[in-house]
Amino acid sequence: MNKLKTTGTYIFLILAAFISIFPFLWMLISATNTSADVTKGKLIPGSYFFDNISNLFSSIDIGTALLNSAKVSITTTLLSLVIASLAGYGFEIYRSKAKDVVFSILLLSMMIPFAAIMIPLFQMFAKLSSVAPAIGIDTLSGVILPTVVTAFLIFFFRQSTKMFPKELLEAGRIDGLSELGLFIRVYAPTMKTTYAAAGIITFMASWNNYLWPLIVLQSPENQTIPMLISQLGSSYSPDYGMIMTAIVISTIPTALVFFFMQKHFVAGMTGSVK
Amino acid sequence: MKKLLTILLASFMLLTACSSNSDKSTNTSNEGTNGGSTGKKQEITVWAWDKAFNIAAMETAKGIYAQKNADVTINVIENAQDDIIQKLNAGLNSGTTKTLPNIVLIEDYRAQSFLQAYPDSFFALDEFINAADFADYKIGPTSFEGKQYGVPFDSGVAGLYVRTDYLQEAGYTVDDLQDVTWDEYIEIGKAIKEKTGKDMLTQDPNDLGLIRMMIQSAGAWYLQEDGKTPFIANNAALEDAFNTYKNIMDANIVKVISDWSQFVGAFNSGDVASIPTGNWITASVKAEAEQSGKWAIVPFPTLANTASSVHASNLGGSSWYVMNVDGKEAAADFLKETFGSNVDFYQTLVTEIGAIGTLKAAAQGEAYTAPDEFFNGQTTIADLASWTEQIPNVNYGMHTYAVEDILVVEMQNFMNGTELETVLNNAQTQAETQIR
Amino acid sequence: MKTEVRRTSIRGSSIRTKANLTGWLFISLAVIMIVIFYFYPMLQALLLSFKSGTGMNLDYVGIDNYKRLFSDKTFTTALTNTFIYLIVQVPVMIILALFLSVLLNSRQLKFRGFFRTAIFLPAVTSLVAYSVIFKYLFATDGMINKLFMSIQLIQTPIEWITDPFWAKVTIIIAITWRWTGYNMIFYLSALQNIDQSIYEAARIDGASATRQFFGITIPLLKPIILFTSITSTIGTLQLFDEVVNITQGGPGNATLSISHYIYNLSFKYTSDFGYAATVSYSIVVIIIILAFLQFKLAGDKK
Repeated sequence: MNKLKTTGTYIFLILAAFISIFPFLWMLISATNTSADVTKGKLIPGSYFFDNISNLFSSIDIGTALLNSAKVSITTTLLSLVIASLAGYGFEIYRSKAKDVVFSILLLSMMIPFAAIMIPLFQMFAKLSSVAPAIGIDTLSGVILPTVVTAFLIFFFRQSTKMFPKELLEAGRIDGLSELGLFIRVYAPTMKTTYAAAGIITFMASWNNYLWPLIVLQSPENQTIPMLISQLGSSYSPDYGMIMTAIVISTIPTALVFFFMQKHFVAGMTGSVK
Repeated sequence: MKKLLTILLASFMLLTACSSNSDKSTNTSNEGTNGGSTGKKQEITVWAWDKAFNIAAMETAKGIYAQKNADVTINVIENAQDDIIQKLNAGLNSGTTKTLPNIVLIEDYRAQSFLQAYPDSFFALDEFINAADFADYKIGPTSFEGKQYGVPFDSGVAGLYVRTDYLQEAGYTVDDLQDVTWDEYIEIGKAIKEKTGKDMLTQDPNDLGLIRMMIQSAGAWYLQEDGKTPFIANNAALEDAFNTYKNIMDANIVKVISDWSQFVGAFNSGDVASIPTGNWITASVKAEAEQSGKWAIVPFPTLANTASSVHASNLGGSSWYVMNVDGKEAAADFLKETFGSNVDFYQTLVTEIGAIGTLKAAAQGEAYTAPDEFFNGQTTIADLASWTEQIPNVNYGMHTYAVEDILVVEMQNFMNGTELETVLNNAQTQAETQIR
Repeated sequence: MKTEVRRTSIRGSSIRTKANLTGWLFISLAVIMIVIFYFYPMLQALLLSFKSGTGMNLDYVGIDNYKRLFSDKTFTTALTNTFIYLIVQVPVMIILALFLSVLLNSRQLKFRGFFRTAIFLPAVTSLVAYSVIFKYLFATDGMINKLFMSIQLIQTPIEWITDPFWAKVTIIIAITWRWTGYNMIFYLSALQNIDQSIYEAARIDGASATRQFFGITIPLLKPIILFTSITSTIGTLQLFDEVVNITQGGPGNATLSISHYIYNLSFKYTSDFGYAATVSYSIVVIIIILAFLQFKLAGDKK
C-alpha cells in the first residue's frame, strides 16, 4: 500500500515536472533548428543555433532591447528595494495607530488593476513630457517611475520585519547609532535573504513588464524585450527558429537571477509568510 | 548611511542614464528641424508595416528621391500594424508631437477614424498632389471635409487565386472559374475536395475579410453612407454575404487557421486550391518557386442573390499620411515626387515588389502589361488593374473594426444555428450602443 | 544604577515622539509614490469615466457611459470570460499548488530539489515569451496536437486557438502552467515553518494523512492560501499579455478579457478614453467586492 502510494507520488511529480519543462525543451530545441524544421515538428536539436543568433542580431536590434530592459529592471529593483524596505521597516518598527491606517489604505492600491489607471497615468506622463521631457513619454524613466513602489513589496517587507529580532536595535541604540544608522547597519545586513527574495520578485516583474512599456514607449530605440518578442511573434513571415532564439536569450537573465539566488529566495519567502 | 546613500545615488544615476537616451533622441529631432532652415540634413521618419511590401516600396521611393535630394535623410521604421495604430493613438492623445513620425502608413479602413478624431494632427496635401490623379475609390477614405490628407498607395483589388493543377485533377479548367458566383465556387470546391482531398480555401474565424470583400463587391458596407450609422440589419448585401459564408463553411471545404503565418503556410505547402484575397498576396504566393506555372488569378466571384454585386472588390490597401509636425513640407515634397506623381517609380514597384499603385497614369506603363511566367504567362497586373477600375466606391467610415468585432461574434451564433435576422438585428443593436 | 534607569526613561519618552516622526520619514517616500502613481490616477479615471468622445474631443456626458456599460454586450462577454477564468483557473491552480507542495515537503522524497526547481521553472519566463511559445505549441497543426495524435489520445486535431471553447481551455492551461509553481513556493515556505511535532502527535493519535492534511495543514496555511488566492484573483482580473499574444481575444471575443477590451477601446478602435475608463472602473468595483468576500469567507471559519 505504502509502496503503491510512493510510486503514485513519483509518477505524479514526474508528470508535473515534464509538463513544466516541456515548453522549455521545445523552445531550446527549436532555437537550434530552421524555421521549416520547427513547423514540421522536429523534436531533435539541430545545428542551426548560431545561424539563428546571427540572423537575430543582424535583422533586429535585440542588443538595444536587452540593454533597455536591463537598465529598466536594475534601476527599478534597486530603487524599489530601498524605498519599500524603508517603508516596511517604518511601518513595523515605529508602529502607531495612524500608520496602521495608512498601511491598510496603501494595501488597497494592490486591488487597483493596472488597466484602470493606465490611461490617466499615460496622460500624466504626457503632461510631464512638456515640462520635463527627460522623464515623460517615451523615456525609460517613464517606464520605471510608476512601477517602482508596489504595496505588495511594502507588505512583504513589513511581514518579514515581524521576524526581525528587535533587541538588535536596542543594542545598536546603546552603541549610539542614529535611527537611519540602525536601519543601514543593523537591519539591512540581517535581512539579506528578504532583500534577495524581494529583489528576485521585482526584477522578474520588471523584466517581464509589457503593457505599460507598450503604451509609454514609442520610438524603436527605446523598445524593451517583451515588446520585441511580441512584435516578432506577430510578424508577417515569422522565422520560428529565430523567434525561439530570441525568447531563449530573453529568458536567460531572469533564469540566472533565480538560480543564483534560489536559496535566498526560498529562505526570504519563508520569513515573509510566517 | 554611506551604503544607503551610495545605493540611492547609484539608482538615480541609472535613472538619469535611462532618461539621457531620450534626450539624445529629442536632440537629434531638433537638429533635424533646425537643419531644414540652416540647410543642413533634414530627417524624415516613416512608420510602416510589412517588410516585403510597404517597407520595400518605401525603400524604393527613398532611393529614387535620394538621387536628387541628398540633403534629406529618410528613416523607415518597421512596426506591426497594430503597434502603429496604438502608438498613433497614444501619441496623438498625449498632446506631444515628439514621438510622432513625419509620414505614416494607415490602412484605408481606419483612415477616417484618425482624420476625424484628430483633425489638426494631419497635414493637408492639396498643394502637393492632385486627388483626381488617383483611383476614385481611394479618395473617400483618404480625404476629410473636402481636403486631401492621404497619398493613395496600393490597390487592395481582390482576385481569386487558383491552383490550375488541382482544378485539372478534379476535371475543371481555369475557364470554369472565370466570372462565377460564390454558389458555383462552392460546387467546384466540393468536387476538388472529393477528388484531391485538398480544401478550397483557408478562413480565420476572427477575420471577416471575406465578408468585407463580398459586400464591397455589391457597393455596400457595415455603415450607412454617412460613415457613422451602423447598417447591419436589413442590409441585403450583408445578408447574402452571411448566407454565402455559412454555405462555404458548411460545405466542408475550409481549412481553419488562426493567424497570418498559417494562412501563408497553407497555400505555400499546397494545402488549399484557392485564395480569395487582395493582390498584395502575390509576393507570398510567388515565394514558393516550385509552384510556378500552377497558379492563375481569376475575377472575384459575385454574390448570387445580389444584383449589384460585380466581379471586382477590394481588401485592405493603405495610403501615406503626413503628420502635422515639424518637417511636414519636406515630407510632403518627398511623397509628391515619388508616390504622388512618378509613373516610372510605379513601374519599378510592379516589377520588383508586385505592388500595384492607384495612380491612374501608371497603368499605361510597360510593366503593367507584362506577362508573368509564374502565372503561366497571364498578364496579371493588367487584369488586376482593369478590375481596380470597377471596384465599387464605398465609405468605410470610422468604425470598420469595431463593427467587425461584433459581427465576428454574431457570425459564430449564426453558424451555430441562430436565425440570420436575429443575428443581424442583435449586431445592429450592439453596434448602435457601442458606436457614438 | 537608579540614575541610569531614570535617565533612560526620560530619554525613552522623548524618543517616542521623535521615533514617531522618524517613522513617518521612513514611510514617506513610499506613501507619496503610491499616492501619485495609484490613487491620483484612480481619481482621474473617475473623472474621465464621465466623459466620452473620440480622440482628443472629450465632452462631459454624465452617467451616460455607465448606462452604456449595461447594454454593452462585448463588455458582458469580457466580464463572463474573465469570471470563467477566475472560477475555473484559480481554484484548480491553488489546489494543484497545495498538493504539489505537500508532496514536495515530504522528507523521504528523493530529488526534491529537482522537482521543486522544475515545477517553479515556468515562473521565470516572461508572460509575453511563454504566450508566444504556447501560441505555437497549441496551433491546430502545432506540437501538442501532433503529440496527442501520435499517442492516439485524439483522432482529429483539436482547434485549441480557433474554437471558442478550446480557446478558453488553452488560456486556462497557459495561466495554470505559468503560476502553479510560483504559488507552490509560497506554500512550501509556509509548510517548512510548521513544527513537525504537531504531525507526530497527530500520527500517534491515529490521524490519517488526509485527516492531517485537512486538520492541520490547511488551517495552518489559511493566511497564505488567502493571500495567494487574492493575488491570483487580482492577477486573473488583470489578464492581458496571454490573451493578446495567444488568441488576440478570439475567436469572436471568446477569450477577450476586460483589460484587453479596455486596451481595444483606447487603442484599437477609434479611441474613446472616457468609456475605457468607465469599463476599467467596473473592475475596481468587482475586485473590491471579491476581496471583501474572500476576507469574509476566511474570517467566518475562524
